[in-house]
Amino acid sequence: MNIRPLLPLLALALLPSAASAQPAPAPPPATQAIDVASGAWEGIVNIDVSVLFPDYREPWNAGQPSGGSGTGFLIGKNRFLTNAHVVSNATRILIRTTNDPEPHPAKIIHIAHDCDLAIIEAEDGKHFEKLKQLDFGGIPQLNTEVIAIGYPIGGDRISVTRGVVSRIDFRPYSHTSVDSHLAIQVDAAINPGNSGGPVMQEGKVVGVAFQGFSGRVAQNVGYMIPIPVIKRFLKDVEDGRYDHYVDLAVSDFSIENPAQAKALGTNGDGVGVMVADVEPAGSVGELLKIGDVILSIDDNPVMNNGLVRFEGELMDMNEIVERKFAGDTIKLKYMRDGKKQEATVTLKRFDPYVRLGAQYNQRPRYIVHAGLVFQPLDRNLMDAHQMRDSVVNYVFDNFLTDKLYVERPEPVVLTNVLPDEVNTWLSPYAHSIVDEINGVKIKSLKDVKTALEKKDTAFIEIRLLEKNRPLVLKRELAQTAHPRIMQTYNILEDSYLGDE
Amino acid sequence: MKLFSYFLLLALSAAVLPAQTPAEPTVVKKKRVLAATDGPASRPVVQSSSLVKVNATSQPYNLHLPWQKESPSGRRGLGVVLAGNRVLVTAQMAADATYIELELPESGQKMPAKVVAVDYEANLALLESPASDKQKAFFAGLKPMAVDASARIGDAVSILQTGRVGELIESPLLIGKVLTRRYNVEGSGFLVYEANGIIRSEANSFTLPVVKGGKLAGLLLSYDSKNQVTTILPAPIIEHFLKDVADGSYEGFPGLGMELQATQDEQFREYLGLKSDAPGVLITTIMKGGSAEKAGMKKGDILLSINGYTIDSRGDYKDPQFGALSSSHLVRGRAYVGDKVEIKVIRDGKEVTLNGQLARRSPDDYLVLPYQFDKGPRYVLMGGLLFQELSRPYLDAFGEEQRGGAILRLARIAAHPDKYEEEGRKKLVFLSMVLPTPSAQGYDKLGGQVINKVNGKAINDLNDLAEAFKSAKDTWHVIELDDFPHILYLDTFNAERDNMRLLGGAYRIGSLKRLE
Repeated sequence: MNIRPLLPLLALALLPSAASAQPAPAPPPATQAIDVASGAWEGIVNIDVSVLFPDYREPWNAGQPSGGSGTGFLIGKNRFLTNAHVVSNATRILIRTTNDPEPHPAKIIHIAHDCDLAIIEAEDGKHFEKLKQLDFGGIPQLNTEVIAIGYPIGGDRISVTRGVVSRIDFRPYSHTSVDSHLAIQVDAAINPGNSGGPVMQEGKVVGVAFQGFSGRVAQNVGYMIPIPVIKRFLKDVEDGRYDHYVDLAVSDFSIENPAQAKALGTNGDGVGVMVADVEPAGSVGELLKIGDVILSIDDNPVMNNGLVRFEGELMDMNEIVERKFAGDTIKLKYMRDGKKQEATVTLKRFDPYVRLGAQYNQRPRYIVHAGLVFQPLDRNLMDAHQMRDSVVNYVFDNFLTDKLYVERPEPVVLTNVLPDEVNTWLSPYAHSIVDEINGVKIKSLKDVKTALEKKDTAFIEIRLLEKNRPLVLKRELAQTAHPRIMQTYNILEDSYLGDE
Repeated sequence: MKLFSYFLLLALSAAVLPAQTPAEPTVVKKKRVLAATDGPASRPVVQSSSLVKVNATSQPYNLHLPWQKESPSGRRGLGVVLAGNRVLVTAQMAADATYIELELPESGQKMPAKVVAVDYEANLALLESPASDKQKAFFAGLKPMAVDASARIGDAVSILQTGRVGELIESPLLIGKVLTRRYNVEGSGFLVYEANGIIRSEANSFTLPVVKGGKLAGLLLSYDSKNQVTTILPAPIIEHFLKDVADGSYEGFPGLGMELQATQDEQFREYLGLKSDAPGVLITTIMKGGSAEKAGMKKGDILLSINGYTIDSRGDYKDPQFGALSSSHLVRGRAYVGDKVEIKVIRDGKEVTLNGQLARRSPDDYLVLPYQFDKGPRYVLMGGLLFQELSRPYLDAFGEEQRGGAILRLARIAAHPDKYEEEGRKKLVFLSMVLPTPSAQGYDKLGGQVINKVNGKAINDLNDLAEAFKSAKDTWHVIELDDFPHILYLDTFNAERDNMRLLGGAYRIGSLKRLE
C-alpha cells in the first residue's frame, strides 16, 4: 500500500489573510500584495479542536485527550467546510477568524470520513453573518497557478502559499486509508494546519487542502480534494444526512497481454478491462463474473487499463460511479464469452470494507465476561493491540479478498484475558478469533452477548478459529468471578454494544 | 508466541515448537589443555586420536531463482571417528555440500570424504572416504570412539576442540536438564541435553564432540554465550541413528503424527470428564497418513499411555533415565520405524487399547516441503512465468515484515494445509515470479498466486503443470489462480518462443524446468 506516507494535515490554523484580488474578476498577478485587513478572506477561519482518542486496548476507559488545529471556510449561512480529519473525535470545536481573537464554539453538522469532508456550524452564528462566503470554481487545469490559504505550522497568522496544479489522479485518501477518490496534486506548500483550508484560483475555491507526504518521502507534493468530490458531498447531505459513496465493488485487471485480449475476445482496439474479482455483496455481485470485460460505463468507453476519458481528463472508471448516489443507476456494457451484453445497474454502498480503514467518532464496542475481553475486528483494534497472531492477521488482510465477510460480517476477537484464578489457563489465547460460544456461531459482537446469555449448560464453551482447544469456564465459577474482576480492573460497564 | 508452550507435539507437525536455530555455535576462547591439573585425576584420558577436523563447502540453491546456486561458503567442524573408519558430524556439515574433506588435527593431512547417511531432522550425518592406500594411511593413527548413552542429569561431560596444531582443548560442562526440542529443521522435538558451563574456542564450528569418560556422549547443537547454556544432541539419538544406518537401509525416526493439548486446567479437565488427579492429555490433531491415524486414534481422544508408559496431564511420561520427559521421545527416540506400538486412550468415557505400527512421514509427504537440502527446488518456467512448489525455506526467506499479502496467505496455507490436502493436492503450486517477456506482457507485477487449474486440468503438483501445458485447447494457455486476477492467458506459440530466448539468455537459465 503506497498510501502509508500520506499524512493528514491537521495541525495549525489558518487565518484568512488577504489574497490580493479576491473579489476581482481577473486572476491576480502572482506578485500582487494581499491586504489581510480587507476582510475579503475573513471567511477562512482557524478551527481549534480538543479531541479524545478512544482507547481500543481498554475499551471501557475514556481514552486519551489531545488537541489539534486546522482550517475551514464559510460556504453558506453559518456553514463552514473543513476536513473530516480536522474535527474527528472532537470533544470541543472552536472557530476563530483572522481579525478577531474571540473563540466561537462550534459543532459538527455533517461528517463524511470516506471523502474527508465535514460541515460545522458555530453555536451562535450571529458573529459570522457579515462574513463573505467563498464560491466554488471548477477543476483547474494542469500547470495553472493556485494558492493555498490556511493556518499551517510556523506561526499563528494566516498563511498563503502558491504553486501550480501538478497532477489530477485517483488517489487513496489517508484519513480512512481505504477510500480512493479523485485528488489534485499541487506543488504549493501544504503543511499540517492547512487541512480543511481552501485552495483558490481566480478568487474561487478549486479544492480543499487535505494531505501531503512526509518530507522524508517526497517534496513539494500536496493534495487537495477537488470540486467534484466536494460538490458530491454537499449534494449528498442536502437531504439532511450523509449516505456515503456507492461502489461497483469490482477489481479490474488491465488487458495488456495479447493472448489475454484474444482469449477474452476484445479485438485489440484498446477498449475493455478485465473483471478480476467481484464482491458478492456489491452493486454488480449478481451480474458480473471473473473474466468478463467491462466495455463502457454510461456510454463512456473503458480503456484496457480501466481508465475513461471523462470531463476532458483520463480518469479511473470508478470516477463515473463516484459521482452517483445510492439508488442511482448506471448503464454497463460488458462482454462475456465474446458476446456483448448490456445491463442497467442500481448502485449501492458496499460497506464490508469500512472496518479495514480507520474509523472515528465511535466509542469502542466490547464485552467483558469473567475477565475475557471480546471486541469486533477492525483497523482501530489491529493498530491498538498490535496484533501479531497469524489467524487474526489473515482474517483482517483477506476479509475482502477471500470474501470472509460473507460468513462472518463482524469477526470478534478475544483481545485480552484479565488475569484471575478463574481464567488463569486461558491467557495464552488472547488475540484469537472467536468462532463459536455455547454452540452459537459468532458473526458479530451481539452474538457473543446472545451466546453468553444461554445458561443451559454447566460450562461456557468458547471455540476459537484455528486454535486446537476450546476454552471452557465453569459457569458458576465464572459468574462468581465476573463482579470481582470488574471491580479489580476498574471496569464500570461490562459491555458497550453501540447506540442502537 | 505465548501459545506455543501449551502445545505438545508428537511426530512431525508444522510450526509448533518454538523455533530455535542452532546454527553455528558461537564460542569464545580460553583453552584448557587436556592434561590440565583442574580435571579430576580419575577421569580417563580422552582419545585425541579419535577426532578429525571436517571442512565442508556448502552451496544451496537460490530459492527465488531456482536455476542458479548461491555463493559457496565454508563450514568447519570436529568429527568423531567411529568403527569402520566412518566419521560422525551434524547434518549441517553435510547440507548442500559440494566438497567435504577430513583433516588430521596434528599433521594437517587431508582426505576427501562423502556422505554415507544423513538425517536432517535428527541433524546427524556419517562421512566416509573411499577406500584407498591413502585412506588406509590416513585412518591408521585414528582410534574409533565408542558411544555412551548413559549420561544423566547432573553428570559431568566435556566439549572437545582442537587448537592450531592439533592440541586438545577441553571445556567441562554439567548436564542440568534433559528435554525435547526441535533441532535445525521444521519437525517435532528430539531429545536434548542442556548443560551449563563456559566454552572457549579458537574458531566457530558446526560440530563439536561432547564426551563422558572418553566415550561419545553427544554433539554440540548450540551455545548461548550470554547464559552459558549449551544444548547437546545426545548419545541416545546418535545410537538410534547408527543402529538404523547399520542395517543397510535408513528409515529415519518414527513419529505418531498427532498433536496433544495439556490438561492442567482444572475446569478443562472437568469439562473433558477427567478426574483431577488422573493422567491423560487431549488429542487435538491427527495427521493424515501418520502412525496415529493408522492405529485408529481420533481427534478428541484422551491419551493415557504409550507402550505402557503413563502420560501425565502435561503430556510427559516418567523416563527411567531422565525423569519427566515429553511423550514424543517414547516414539521418536526410543522406538524404530516398523515397531509395534500400544496406545491406551479414553474415548466416549471408555478406555480403549489401540495397536499400530510406527511409521515416519517423509518430507515429500507434506503439502509444503518442511526442508530441502542437496537438491534444487523444483520449478517450471513457461513464457517467463515461474512456477514453484511452496516450501518452508521459501517462506522463511521472507522476513516477518514482508509477510503481507500473498506471502501471508501462503504462510497460512503452510500452517493449515488440511483443506488443500483434502482437495487431493500433493504440493502447492504457485506463480512465484514473472520474468519480463513479450508473452507475459502485463503480468510482471504478479507473484504469490496459487495455481488451481491449467488448460482445465487440476494442478496437484508441478508434474501436473508441466503435463497440462502440453494440452492447450486453443492457441493460448488458460491458467486459473486461487487469487486476483484469477485468470491468466498465455499465447502458446509466443510462450515457447520466449522459452527459447530465456535459455542461456540474460537470466542465465540452463533449463526450463526441474522436476526430479
